[in-house]
Amino acid sequence: MHEPSDQSLEAASPPRPSGKPQAQRGKQAQPTPPAREPSARQPSPRHRASIPSLRAQIYKSHIKPVWCPGCGHFGVLAALTKTLAHLELPPERVAVVSGIGCSSRLPAYLAVHGFHGLHGRALPLAAGLKSARPELTVIVAGGDGDGFSIGGNHFLHACRRNQDLTYIVMDNEVYGMTKGQASPTTQPDWCRSKLTPQGTGIRRFQPAAIALAAGASFIARGFAGAPAGLTRLLAAAIEHPGFAFVHVLSPCRTFRPEQQHWKQQVHPCELEPAQDLAQAAALMQRDDGMALGILFRQRIPVYAAGVAPITEQALRQIAAHSGALAEIEAELCR
Amino acid sequence: MSAPSPDAVIESVAELLAHALELEYASKAHYEQLADSMNVHHNTAVADLFCSFATLSADHAAAVAARAGDTDLPRIPPWGFKWLCPDAPEGGDCLDPALSYGMSTVQALEVALHNERRSRAYYAHCAASAALPEARRLAADMAAEAAEHIALLEQMLADERRRHRDTPDDLDPPHVPA
Repeated sequence: MHEPSDQSLEAASPPRPSGKPQAQRGKQAQPTPPAREPSARQPSPRHRASIPSLRAQIYKSHIKPVWCPGCGHFGVLAALTKTLAHLELPPERVAVVSGIGCSSRLPAYLAVHGFHGLHGRALPLAAGLKSARPELTVIVAGGDGDGFSIGGNHFLHACRRNQDLTYIVMDNEVYGMTKGQASPTTQPDWCRSKLTPQGTGIRRFQPAAIALAAGASFIARGFAGAPAGLTRLLAAAIEHPGFAFVHVLSPCRTFRPEQQHWKQQVHPCELEPAQDLAQAAALMQRDDGMALGILFRQRIPVYAAGVAPITEQALRQIAAHSGALAEIEAELCR
Repeated sequence: MSAPSPDAVIESVAELLAHALELEYASKAHYEQLADSMNVHHNTAVADLFCSFATLSADHAAAVAARAGDTDLPRIPPWGFKWLCPDAPEGGDCLDPALSYGMSTVQALEVALHNERRSRAYYAHCAASAALPEARRLAADMAAEAAEHIALLEQMLADERRRHRDTPDDLDPPHVPA
């Protein structure tokens, strides 16, 4: 688990490029941009409050993303840092937990607490962290394979548990890190992987509908190519008391280049966020998977705000039973 | 928390300045991210170019800050800016099809030119639609500055195209079955 560094706005801008010498691709000579007289005048502190992109910088770590240029995950990273800045969450009060995959690299690129965990196990890790440290804003991030396949069972139970977590799934309908295999959200006839040359033939996982059926209290869908809207959704999700699931359509440039068309296919959700299950179920039936916005939001009791401290009464009960427990232990451990 | 309507207009000079500062800092962040990305993929020529653009954006931001002086600027949520495009005009589009780890300096200049043209279009729109004459004048000045940048970038692009007729080969293409 890495910890946020204590950095000012100025310190958040690393020297660029890095000092490590790197090979020149194509041996291109660099054109020289026009020189301008730099001004010493920087935004005053009160102006900084008016510049989201500047305030977002303090949430970025100095680690350079290895995502492919053109990857949707860059949009999610930008939206998340702007959201944290907008909500004025101190970096030391935020933790981002992930599993494995391209999108699960997210914690490394943020200057908040981070935990890059096991494949599919981001949600139980986050649940443990939130139970032990309820004062933290805990955000879980991952991809469609990590969240809906390897971690599918955790997803269901996190939805119904309604612990105060925000779960961002960057869905590109493919396992990108392992070079492009079909994931739970891949179309059944997608046949560009050697593992599934005829397509999977399996119906797609429907994240929003399944989250609703499993009992999630906040369900939204965003698009990496619509950063302003995504920032708004993330802010609403983090502020929602309970489990907030944000399904982000995040195109994979390398293995699913056809997803570039998502820009033309996404559209705002026609209806207002559903407040009750019947209304939400009707909305889900009409959902084409490309509707953006808050799909469902309901206030229901939040799972234990933390692990309750052991009371005196509980301690007395434990002491009273200690003899019996010792007898059982002695019997079973003979 | 509602987003501005598409026909929302800039109401004041302070609001225009807030938009201009966000535009420049979004531009700086975008070019820094692209420079990082190119460095990671060992495309240092393009990385250096994006790095230079980031520095220029920082300079432009400083110039706007100097213009703002002690003006009180409105605090606008990230989704509340009145852009004509989904994000700040020079903030770039993370899904821009031109972006590639093997992109050339010509393509990088094309990306910058596209962003600068969006910036000019935005300021021209504000110059025509802002509520106050003072804000319209300032927007027109900014549009004129953006036009100068466009002219410079067009010249650089023409020079670069003359120097590099061909796009470099992708030396490490991803393995994607046909």
